[in-house]
Amino acid sequence: MVDSLPQWLLDVLGQDVQFWLGYLTNGKHLNWYASVQYTLAAGVLGALVALVLGTLAATARNSRSAPVRVLGNIYTSVLPGVPDVLFFLFFPLAFEQAVEWVRAQAICSPSDLGSGHWPPCPDANLILGTPEYLILAAVSLGIVYGAFAGNVIAGAMNAVPKGQLEAARAFGMSPLQVMTRIHIRQMWVYALPGLSNVWMLLFKSTSLLSLLQISDIVLWADRLGAPNFSRSAGFVHPDWRWAYYLILLIFYIIITFISEKVFAALTRWAGRGMATAGAV
Amino acid sequence: MGALAAIANDIVLLAKPALFNIYFALVSIPTGFVLAVFMALGKASSNPIISRLCRGYIYAFRGSPFFIQLFMFYSLLLSLNLSVWKPLGLDTIVLNPLILGPAVLALNTTAYTANILHGALMTVPRGEVEAARAFGMSRFQQFRTVIWPNVIRLAWPAYTNEVVFMFHATALVYLTLPVIDDQLDLMNKAGTLFEKDYNAFLHYPVAAMYFLVISAAIFFGFGRVYRHLMRHLPRPPAMRFAPRWMR
Repeated sequence: MVDSLPQWLLDVLGQDVQFWLGYLTNGKHLNWYASVQYTLAAGVLGALVALVLGTLAATARNSRSAPVRVLGNIYTSVLPGVPDVLFFLFFPLAFEQAVEWVRAQAICSPSDLGSGHWPPCPDANLILGTPEYLILAAVSLGIVYGAFAGNVIAGAMNAVPKGQLEAARAFGMSPLQVMTRIHIRQMWVYALPGLSNVWMLLFKSTSLLSLLQISDIVLWADRLGAPNFSRSAGFVHPDWRWAYYLILLIFYIIITFISEKVFAALTRWAGRGMATAGAV
Repeated sequence: MGALAAIANDIVLLAKPALFNIYFALVSIPTGFVLAVFMALGKASSNPIISRLCRGYIYAFRGSPFFIQLFMFYSLLLSLNLSVWKPLGLDTIVLNPLILGPAVLALNTTAYTANILHGALMTVPRGEVEAARAFGMSRFQQFRTVIWPNVIRLAWPAYTNEVVFMFHATALVYLTLPVIDDQLDLMNKAGTLFEKDYNAFLHYPVAAMYFLVISAAIFFGFGRVYRHLMRHLPRPPAMRFAPRWMR
């Protein structure tokens, strides 16, 4: 990377800057920068799942059928009582075991099934790679924060003035039209501040990806910062992990800052034409 | 072994690990609360330097994951081990997870709590403060008799949530810091039990149950305190069993 720069630029930069440029663009560091994609992918995918599940849960809580209502209430009130990290570790394991169990019923011989070993026979063993774990991680984040989002969206649905809905019905709109054109359309203004909070929590939880052996930014920071001794170059650097973690800390703070700006803009956009304090 | 016996067995096995989570919470939350009072006053300070510093602290700790904060402080102290702590003979104290864990938890909860208290501080009725000043109260008297009672009443519901989430955050401490001997907390113990028999559907839900029960106990206890804080009202607020999960 540094070698491709023109000579005059290298002269200007000097030896120290050249060394640091070379160090920060070596293969391992490039892997580190690339691993940001896992964090971002888990965050965005998790947020989409959370939004869908949150909307479903909020709808379920207002359902006419009592069992559906109970289900929605259990989901939105029990799941936030469990640490996100616990569910984050549990869900991928549980999902994997459930799939293995189904496979075992089909593949394994009856004597293997009764043996009490796990997995019952080697063929039923499921080997997952990074993409699968990433999806499982995003889905488990989505399930956890979907419960939070469900609370927010349910509250926002109730916050829409009843008069608006009555007026829409008086205009002869069908229930579906009232729902999509008036209720959900106005719901966003009340939901966005809460959803912004949920997104920040969710994105901060993406730092847990390394617990599922995904080579994300945290795992790479740990590898890069560990005391480095190579036979050819000798002692490269002592324990620099704290500096790498500090960079991660700043990375997350920057994402928080950007998210705040984006949500402020979204709130302005959602509130356009509405007589609320949030609208400009 | 029947399912119920297995669950009962797990409840017994996880009782001691739960004490570690409770210990982390009991040490860090009161410490963080005291620090947060000063941090909130600092954020509201008219001195721009103090105010900026407190604002920055709160933004940094609220804007980054606790998991990374733990890693950073642990690795920072570890890198100073050979040059500072070892020669002073402090390495077993500074790097002890039973001290370092609550310390970082306290730094984290200070930021969140200070933000809640600052929000409450900003909504204290202005007329009451002016009345206190008109009575000739000193600044400290104003704070003690007028501002603080208002702040704590306004902040209590949000602070209840913060305490519950702080208790949940204790689950991360031993996923980051080295575990000494058999001082396993709920997450570690559930993990080691899982590695023995691969029964994810037993051990993790029982650990989750511990968290749920203790969260409910926190809501109950803090609800009682809230009723006590609001005892001057003709009808004190009813106990809320449906928690508002928001941080």
